[in-house]
Amino acid sequence: MHHPTPPELRLEGALPLAPSIEKTPVRIQPRYGHFIDGRFVDGDAAHDFETINPATGKVLARVGAASQADVDEAVAAARRAFDTTWGRMPGAERGKYLYRLARRLQERGREMAVLETLDNGKPIRETRDVDVPQAAQHLFYYAGWADKLQHAIPGRAVRPVGVAGQVIPWNFPLLMLAWKIAPALACGNTVVLKPAQTTPLSAMLLAELIQEAELPPGVVNFVNGEGPTGAALVGHPGIDKVAFTGSTAVGKGILRAVAGTKKKVTLELGGKGAHIIYADADLDQATDAVVDGIFYNQGHVCCAGSRLLLEESIAEAFVERLKRRILTLRIGDPLDKNTDVGAINSALQLERVQRYIDIGREEGATVWQGAACPIPGTGCFIPPTLLLGVQQTDTVVREEIFGPVLSVLTFRTPDEAIAKANDTEYGLAAGVWSEKTSKLFRTAHALNAGVVWANGYNLFDPSSPFGGIRHSGFGREGGVHGLWPYLEVA
Amino acid sequence: MSRITVQKTLKMYVGGQFIRSESGHTLPVRGARGETMHACKASRKDMRDTVEIARAAQPAWAARAAFNRGQILYRLGEMIEGRPFPTTEEDIVRAADRAVHHAGWTDKIGAVLSTLNPVSTAYVNYSMIRAIGVVVVVPRAEDGLTGLVEAACAPILMGNTAILLVPAEQAELAVAFTEALATCDLPGGVVNVLTGDVPGVLEWADKHDDVDAIYVIDGALSHERLTASQVAAARTLRRIVVGPPAETPADPIVLQRLAEVKTVWMSS
Repeated sequence: MHHPTPPELRLEGALPLAPSIEKTPVRIQPRYGHFIDGRFVDGDAAHDFETINPATGKVLARVGAASQADVDEAVAAARRAFDTTWGRMPGAERGKYLYRLARRLQERGREMAVLETLDNGKPIRETRDVDVPQAAQHLFYYAGWADKLQHAIPGRAVRPVGVAGQVIPWNFPLLMLAWKIAPALACGNTVVLKPAQTTPLSAMLLAELIQEAELPPGVVNFVNGEGPTGAALVGHPGIDKVAFTGSTAVGKGILRAVAGTKKKVTLELGGKGAHIIYADADLDQATDAVVDGIFYNQGHVCCAGSRLLLEESIAEAFVERLKRRILTLRIGDPLDKNTDVGAINSALQLERVQRYIDIGREEGATVWQGAACPIPGTGCFIPPTLLLGVQQTDTVVREEIFGPVLSVLTFRTPDEAIAKANDTEYGLAAGVWSEKTSKLFRTAHALNAGVVWANGYNLFDPSSPFGGIRHSGFGREGGVHGLWPYLEVA
Repeated sequence: MSRITVQKTLKMYVGGQFIRSESGHTLPVRGARGETMHACKASRKDMRDTVEIARAAQPAWAARAAFNRGQILYRLGEMIEGRPFPTTEEDIVRAADRAVHHAGWTDKIGAVLSTLNPVSTAYVNYSMIRAIGVVVVVPRAEDGLTGLVEAACAPILMGNTAILLVPAEQAELAVAFTEALATCDLPGGVVNVLTGDVPGVLEWADKHDDVDAIYVIDGALSHERLTASQVAAARTLRRIVVGPPAETPADPIVLQRLAEVKTVWMSS
């Protein structure tokens, strides 16, 4: 197939960077404790830590690290709520509380988006258009399930599991929170959730909305903290169910910690998503999807399309297209509505991603970086990065980088594309592009992953089950399948 | 003078063949009529060879038409019905009925557990059931023949291949069961049966990276042994699924855990 090379884009001066800063005010308190039994509590102050705006390096707030006693209190509150209110409430009533919460979130969405952007570093365009509306949609979706649980498992009566201990990552703080609490609450469980240590603020604002929605005390509890708090929660004898999203290494530790207990577990772990582009793909659409697949949210996406597999005949031309597209991406102030690529979430993560780029270079990759503008002088930024000339066995092809770094590989036949895509310990997500339906179906069905996008990438919907196979974890979030981890057969 | 019996060695069933342990090890066991028999004692190498065979057999088994898999499981019911097994008559008829029950699932469970998801964008979004792969199965000895049928059928009807670990004391029953497996048109390698020291073989399975899941019938293992398998499973994110004893057939939610949910966003 012949693909004429599009004319060169001359970007100098063509895209003047006039800032358009989102100005919705947000209140941030100097210190946050926890949200337990319907109240904000100070908790143990012995191990306070700071949450930092990664785009500026400035401290946003001090945060308490929940001690064992704080976690005990939260689990006890959740148990009381399960036994006395939430677990006994008719589903329709529970549903109405969740609908209320979804509405409150929509109504204070802009404020939430700004707070999330400040704390996380992701562009306001994403928090405003994706994180917040999708979180609200998730709550709406599962609110509607609360009075229909008799249809959740074919032929079986169901009941809630009890108290869920949930631990979430920093890449989608509010959205992951909604993914965790919505199905748990709809099924009649109560929740103790630990937000990620670098991104606690959106949960603290959501706690206000939970108060406004007048959820009974103890139904949702948030305990802030770092690793030890998470371990105290997961290992707590008072919880019945563990739900974790995060790294595969921590996920394995959780499995060991709950071995021998009756706790139910779901894990949504890492990935190394393959993104296959056949020569007969719509290359313009595919280019945008590849960019979205890896640079969306600075590549801090567990299902990121971090391994690009290009059919050999179009590989060179496609990389040129990709570079041209990347050179239109604006990197910088996440509060600027024009920003496409925001800040890496933390200095620690910046270091990790940088180290992988170095490893890639040492193992023989050609490193190409680009953007429409220089990266800011302060804060945690890494420009969109391509690693060219890499091999299937390279570290940067095998390990999850969790940053804006795309490894580019090639293939000759569909069988080779499928074999390379499946040659990974992970199995979270993959994408494939072709205008030929039979090839699209055959490849999509042959890919070993929990989610496959055929002519798309990084698409999510509350009605669509998401989750991985193999080292990417087990259990599904979203859809009817997302109810099953939170229900027992009665 | 009483007759000298023909003393049997009870073979294992791997890849559609009746085999002795490569180690030559056997354990003396007592048959249903009180006679002495020798049960093969599976070695670590037997276990490793069996995983390879089960792995090789899995894609073709999963790719067979669901109707065809159902026909084979129904044939298993036919091969059990009315035949002598070293167990009670009640156990035999329950086992035959159980095979028939699961035979009917093969071309229906996908429809029960799959969904068409009404997403907000222009994609046809569907979630379907896919096999996990190679499943090591630990039935509960007191569940008899029905227990063997139940524990074997649940994973294979989902498209997995299975390696059953059966204690030496149950080897006579296991051989009778595998004779039914060998004559029901089930392809070799789909169900494999190793006999001997179950906790010992399981410990080797725990260390084998190519075992995708372990299906343990509730009560078949001590708490300590199950915990050890759960701890070991963390290394490769191996799925540990605890299933119900044989009184009731595995329900759709148990069957779902013996499979993976795969969601496809198909452009429209």
